[in-house]
Amino acid sequence: MKDKVLVAMSGGVDSSVALLKIIEMGYDAIGITMKLWEYRDVGGNLLEDSNCCSVGAINNAKLVCDRLNVPHYTIDFTDVFRKTVVDNFADEYLKGRTPNPCVRCNSFVKWDAFIEQADRLGANYIATGHYAKIHQENNSFYLQKGTDPLKDQAYVLWGIPAETLSRTLLPLGNYTKKEVRDIAKTNNLETADIPESMEICFVADNNYKRFLKDYVPDKINAVGSGEIINKSGIPIGMHTGYTNYTIGQRKGIGLSKPEPRYVTKIKPSTNQIVIGKKKDLYESICNISNINWLVTNIEFPCIVKAQIRYNSSLVSAKIKKEDNIYKIYFTEPQMAITPGQSIVFYNDNIVLGGGIIEKIFTNE
Amino acid sequence: MKRIYFDISATTPLDPQVADFMYELQKEYYGNPSSIHREGQAARAIIEKSRNQLAKTLNCLPDEIIFTSSGSESNNMVLKGVLKKGDHLITSSYEHPAILNVIPSLQKKEIEISYVDPNKNGLIPIEAIKRKIQKNTKLISIMYVNNELGTINPIQEIANLCSDKNILFHSDGVQAFGKISIDTQNIPINFLSMSAHKLYGPKGVGALFIKKGSIINPLIHGGGQESNLRGSTENIIGIAGFGLAAEIAIRNIAKNSDHINQLGLHLINTLNKKKIVYKINGENCVPGVFNIAFPIIEGQDLVMQLDMVGIAISFGAACASGTIKESNMLVNMGLTNKEANSSVRLSIGKIHTKENVEAVINAIDYIINTYVGKINER
Repeated sequence: MKDKVLVAMSGGVDSSVALLKIIEMGYDAIGITMKLWEYRDVGGNLLEDSNCCSVGAINNAKLVCDRLNVPHYTIDFTDVFRKTVVDNFADEYLKGRTPNPCVRCNSFVKWDAFIEQADRLGANYIATGHYAKIHQENNSFYLQKGTDPLKDQAYVLWGIPAETLSRTLLPLGNYTKKEVRDIAKTNNLETADIPESMEICFVADNNYKRFLKDYVPDKINAVGSGEIINKSGIPIGMHTGYTNYTIGQRKGIGLSKPEPRYVTKIKPSTNQIVIGKKKDLYESICNISNINWLVTNIEFPCIVKAQIRYNSSLVSAKIKKEDNIYKIYFTEPQMAITPGQSIVFYNDNIVLGGGIIEKIFTNE
Repeated sequence: MKRIYFDISATTPLDPQVADFMYELQKEYYGNPSSIHREGQAARAIIEKSRNQLAKTLNCLPDEIIFTSSGSESNNMVLKGVLKKGDHLITSSYEHPAILNVIPSLQKKEIEISYVDPNKNGLIPIEAIKRKIQKNTKLISIMYVNNELGTINPIQEIANLCSDKNILFHSDGVQAFGKISIDTQNIPINFLSMSAHKLYGPKGVGALFIKKGSIINPLIHGGGQESNLRGSTENIIGIAGFGLAAEIAIRNIAKNSDHINQLGLHLINTLNKKKIVYKINGENCVPGVFNIAFPIIEGQDLVMQLDMVGIAISFGAACASGTIKESNMLVNMGLTNKEANSSVRLSIGKIHTKENVEAVINAIDYIINTYVGKINER
């Protein structure tokens, strides 16, 4: 009997081609759409969104599965998604941080839920359309960057449970996005031309400020406007509420200065944002939380390549471990290291692990 | 793989006789029933024939039937077309979404709503309705047969109560029509919603019985069709299919009930013989509908696993996206979350055989056994 594989179907082109590849590899595929969010709950334009979890996307997934003669089921995960990802998203902004909900979803919702579902349906593997690879060496499994440098999604997968790597198939890791679209077209998959979704899946209009206002109106209204201060703590203007800003933000601060000014710090307790010049954004040390290692037997301190946000380049850093606290020392100062964002560590193409950026320390 | 479709409550396949009839008809008849000419007249005749067929099945006047697009439309029309600002509606908390999801729009129009909960057997107690009646109660809407459980509500008593109190009575009869006899001369009901696709007729056609003298406003305004109550050029082929399907269903109601009841009995006997642990939710059900808990397996897993071996059953209440979600209704009825999560609906129809029943139970038995094995391994 063929091995069963649960394929996560978002209704987009990537998961459609992932399904096709899984079938070509000789597996017995089952398409599953995880319904994570109900758009009607908190606004967003239902008609214009092409995100996963909309009825249109679920129907696309069903269509593609039917075309490939694969059963498809939509399973509701809205409660756990709301509690684990969306509530946290709002909390993080309220703490003056900049969350990455996709990472959190992969780390704490998607993989666990999907593996559990696979167990219950007697499937050995799960598969997704992420642009990353699983590399096997002897009995060890490693997460690697995908071939397409523009699409690589290994960054958002650092948090998945290490023990699931051996049961995860990522059939798109060797392809570029263009190749994937071409495969979809050649095979007449209706999802071939679906536009890329770059926004956060539950913020359909890509306006997180609007979302926060709708989702936690009381908390957001309580924030109100506050002071903009400079490095020395001197007030130089007013802002519209600290949740509306992220570290490194230049536009929309509302100050006119000959030299551009950036948000360098957010202080939720006093509802202040600190601004400075570009050079003030550069820092060299941070500590991290929620660390997840995908590779065992790492000895500290160790030298790695680190990535501090999605699509940023890899830079050299040293990880030191002191009393179970991991501190990262960048070889060169880095611009806008942002609390709440993920930092991912690599050795070559292999993802070693990652964590959430906590405190930034000035190099003195 | 020959599939077995045990989801008759969700929808039925077309009766082959109805399918042939519609297929032939649509090649010949294309006229607009409102036209003056012969083509129009011929189309008109099709609709009126069907109206007569439906009227016979309900023991009512043809004028008391209007055709709609669905049971949902019929339900919408009653709620939105009868109630006005300041009126009070009593309905149940376990109605179909085509009632429950209309209610927010009624509340916006300042219509008062009271809900009655089903008892632990899945039935609406008449005493509970009585307690909710107010001076301004204009309409009571209680479903004839519940879609998830198949339980038959005491419609005669509720209708009598409404009649005594001079309150209009509507029943969503979508799950009842064609399965049990409904005599509108005996039951003082004002409005009854029906749908063709639940009785081996086509999808996209419904009807509403409107007792003569019951005032209702149209939902769709247009060219005056259906006695000025429902604008839009009639779906003549669908309506024709509905008429024939209803006639066949009612003509064979005793025979079908008998056959289906025997299959139901066989289902229970086979479950017992195989020592499968189960619990049936709800009592006083229409033939062939079983809302049944297999405590050993989650309902959603059973539905998916059965589907993969070629058997269609259902879990929870169907929604447009087909998302699998447990039923709140069962929890409201007093089941624990665990019981509700392990409850599925098997609905059997006239198309099924004893062999089908055995095949389904065998598959359930196999899945439960292998499922238990898996849980123990972990």
